[in-house]
Amino acid sequence: MKTIPLEAFLAVSMILFGLGVIGIIARRNLVTVLMSLELALNAVNIALVGADHHLGLAEGQIFALFIIALAATEAAVGLGIIIAIFRLKKVESTDEISELRG
Amino acid sequence: MGKLIIFGFFSLMAILSGIGIITLKNPVYVIVALLSSLIAVAGIFFTAGAELVGALQLLIYAVAIAIFYIIVISAVPWQKAKKSETHHRFEGLISLPVVLLLYIEMIVVFLLGVKASPEGEIAKLIEKIGNAEVIGAILFSKYFLAFEVVSLVLLVGMIGAVLIGRKESQTYEDDTT
Repeated sequence: MKTIPLEAFLAVSMILFGLGVIGIIARRNLVTVLMSLELALNAVNIALVGADHHLGLAEGQIFALFIIALAATEAAVGLGIIIAIFRLKKVESTDEISELRG
Repeated sequence: MGKLIIFGFFSLMAILSGIGIITLKNPVYVIVALLSSLIAVAGIFFTAGAELVGALQLLIYAVAIAIFYIIVISAVPWQKAKKSETHHRFEGLISLPVVLLLYIEMIVVFLLGVKASPEGEIAKLIEKIGNAEVIGAILFSKYFLAFEVVSLVLLVGMIGAVLIGRKESQTYEDDTT
């Protein structure tokens, strides 16, 4: 049954997570920042499901379901914030929002 | 062996789409790349034997969330985003070694954690009565409280999204005093 090694899942998960982190840092558009965040969440799901496949447990898949639900919430709230920022300030780039800089 | 080839195909597709997500300029192309990556990740779940998570990944992520992003992209005018620079190139290059450090940390933590965790007996049960049944049985017995809390989080998120995103057509005066 265990034809796919755990390290393969881990490698794919880490590469996707790193791409997501680089996207969060390097992207300017607010919506694409959120999309990179979705990519990072997906990478964590791959790691959880891969560990499940290796260990023969079912807990990781349940946590993956919780992560999917939280990602839906995060997308709703994040996109609402982005729309509110755009309506109030008419900006869509991350470096134009610098009111919190001391 | 065949499973490994399918896994390699899906993971290659996911990684290529991930590179597309962080490099493409037009936000609409980025959504298409995100959709492709999500579907490839669902394929990885299917090859790992997690049919329920894969199906929910397709339903919730690839349908609901991606369509939500498309609606937001089409509701907000992004003319300025297309003209101006789309990446923080210098910051992205600087973050590469940090991400490499993160990789090393993840390798150590994950391999140690998997070594320390017990081998489960649930795999035989899954082979006997199916993946979705086992997940449902554990979710509604051992993790029932967490399930209810997640529903509460979804409700709070929905209320917050409506409150943040609504349009203030009129200002309400404080008439309690």
